[in-house]
Amino acid sequence: MNFFSRSFRTGTFVMNLVAVSLVTSGVAQGQSAATPDPTDPGKAVFKRANCMGCHKWHGNGGGGYGGDALSLRKTELAREQIVETVGCGRPATGMPFFLRGAYDPVKCYDMLRQDVANNIPPEGATFLRQNDIEAVADYVLAHIKGKGEPTYDDCISFFSADSRVCSIYKAEPTASPDGAGKGQ
Amino acid sequence: MKRFRFDRKTHLLAGAVALAAVVGGPPAKAADEVTHDRLLNADKETGNWLLHHKNFSAHRFSGLKDINRDTVKNLKVAWTMHLGGVEGGGIWTHGGLEGTPIVENGFMYVTDGWGSVYKIDTHGGRGVLMWKMDPKTDHDWAGAVACCGVDNRGVALWGNLVISHTLDGRLIATNKENGQVAWQRKVADPDKGEVVTGAPLVVKNMAITGVAGAEYGIRGWIAATDLSTQKEVWRTHTIPAKGEPGHETWKDDKNAAAAGGGSTWVTGSYDPATNTIIWGVGNPGPDWDNEYRPGDNLYTDSSLALDADTGKIKWHYQHTPNDPYDYDSVAENVLVDVPGPNGPLKLALEADRNGFAYAIDRTTGKFIWGLPFVKKVTWTKGLDAESGKPVEYDPNKQVQRYNAAVTPHRENKVADICPGNMGGKNWPPTAYNPELKLWYIPVIESCNRITVEESKQDKLKAREFWTGGGPSQPFRITGSVAAVDVTTGKLAGKMETPFPMLGGMLATPDLVFTGQPSGQVMALDAKTLEKRWEFNTGGGVSAPPISFAVDGKQYIAILVGLGGAWDKWFIDATPELKNIQPGSMLYVFAL
Repeated sequence: MNFFSRSFRTGTFVMNLVAVSLVTSGVAQGQSAATPDPTDPGKAVFKRANCMGCHKWHGNGGGGYGGDALSLRKTELAREQIVETVGCGRPATGMPFFLRGAYDPVKCYDMLRQDVANNIPPEGATFLRQNDIEAVADYVLAHIKGKGEPTYDDCISFFSADSRVCSIYKAEPTASPDGAGKGQ
Repeated sequence: MKRFRFDRKTHLLAGAVALAAVVGGPPAKAADEVTHDRLLNADKETGNWLLHHKNFSAHRFSGLKDINRDTVKNLKVAWTMHLGGVEGGGIWTHGGLEGTPIVENGFMYVTDGWGSVYKIDTHGGRGVLMWKMDPKTDHDWAGAVACCGVDNRGVALWGNLVISHTLDGRLIATNKENGQVAWQRKVADPDKGEVVTGAPLVVKNMAITGVAGAEYGIRGWIAATDLSTQKEVWRTHTIPAKGEPGHETWKDDKNAAAAGGGSTWVTGSYDPATNTIIWGVGNPGPDWDNEYRPGDNLYTDSSLALDADTGKIKWHYQHTPNDPYDYDSVAENVLVDVPGPNGPLKLALEADRNGFAYAIDRTTGKFIWGLPFVKKVTWTKGLDAESGKPVEYDPNKQVQRYNAAVTPHRENKVADICPGNMGGKNWPPTAYNPELKLWYIPVIESCNRITVEESKQDKLKAREFWTGGGPSQPFRITGSVAAVDVTTGKLAGKMETPFPMLGGMLATPDLVFTGQPSGQVMALDAKTLEKRWEFNTGGGVSAPPISFAVDGKQYIAILVGLGGAWDKWFIDATPELKNIQPGSMLYVFAL
């Protein structure tokens, strides 16, 4: 189906940007590869299962259009409770279940599909295996639960050193609490 | 940026291309350059669709009439084209299509949600991709602060350039011929929660940009960029600064105005007679905790008239002062002239999220008439006949409660409102038939539940939601098409639809075209709204149709691909739509 052959044209601003970002992200990956974090597989699950879609990359969740996703930074859940919540979701809330077979045939909170009825949580966009669920729980415990406000270091360890998502955390002192610096 | 070329080895195709080149006529030359004069007379180029809203008055009316009440039953798919931009980013699992195609002399320009621009040759009864300009939008950076989906509503044309926006805040000029980026300029800053989803409006030598982000604590603006010098000509903030008129309508001691919202993410209209740009302004922030921001909160929830050359505000009309419902007024203003008791009335029409359609005198900003266009309005008993304000509005009160029993506030934290916060009509554009004097509104018939969360200053953080609560969806939501007779300000007809109208309207002399998020594209009788034709695209329709002609033949075109926020935030109100898959496709129909 080779109807088209692609030819990339002259180095525009866009192309230059891309080139720069490829180089720097390569460096960042190289660095993180040098010091492997045992919870990296869990971070990958956090991204793949779109936990960040509601809880955000930093886990603080927060209000908003979709209602409140609870803060994983402030959570008091223990490891097995996090594992259960990811696998089974939270009935009657927007927190989906990610375990294949949750509520049918695997009991969740001692309930099957007919017991939870209309309160069944939504199905996750992707199903996770038990070891994936445990990995994401370990990631949350190591990097999110109990942490204070997200920092620049948190951000670049989630994304990469060159991610523009992180630039606002660099300028922490200017983000004054009265918001006067915003949107001017 | 990618430019596609034809593989000479593919003999059959190459032959077809050569033929198309002959049939399609010569490549664009100086005559194809888009000038202000051509845009002023856009309606005279019947086969083209040169402006986002078809003309500066935002009529979305095509005079083409080969596809009409009698022939539309024979309308069939002529060709389709798969586009890209379906991938997710930030808090979004996928991108979608909400754009209006632009067509000039048989060449079509469309965008996908991440801002890639596609030029398509429509000559010869089929579509051929000429080039694709991929702006390499930063998905994580922009997608995390896009409140309501990965969307881009299309391009504008100027000279030999295609002018477009990206979600991450850039204005880009692309060479129309070869798809190369000529220049780009940063107009909005996702670090502040600002993103851009609207199509630019080109007026004279300027591109006008609106911004989104009222859910993230921005202070909204409308900005004009000189396309010759690439410099900013003016930037008018929709929330007045200290010392400017209107600032006194922010009566708090917390500097709420600095993060007061007032987004401008729907392309406005332009009245050349008075050199006035008319543009809608969005909701105040935090959306649902209006006690945080006592006062009327100008110019949120308003229509704004600006001098096109300076951006100076000429007049404003505010629909929902101190809004506690997220009833923004970001919608397009449709400019129509109707006979009045003392000569012609020059109106600006706006179908507001709050469920009322308004006619404002566009020379003075004075209220002329208003009517509810949704089945159910609970937040107010109605509009004052003189002022057009909700009858419960009390200018002496700092915090408005309207119908207090159903209004969410700090002492009534959970309340059900009708229309729901997506509004009676959201961004999908209306269309106006100047022959029948009928104005067609794509309606969301809805109620939903608001839960208020008290806003505190320390919760205000860059790139974090600043909403003061959130909606949930305990009620089924449906839709309708409403037709308003603009000579009387009365409802002339209504056609109920099983799902909300999330795509927008096209009017032709005796038909109205629109689509449903469940996949159907349909044609209705312009007078009776009776359904005359329907085709199921199998994807979510969240973009408005257009009509154009090439090689002397009329076509209907529409982008299909689950866009917007519905499937993330509002899907519980329309459970059947959970089955609609993300996609990215252009459909073109012909007789």
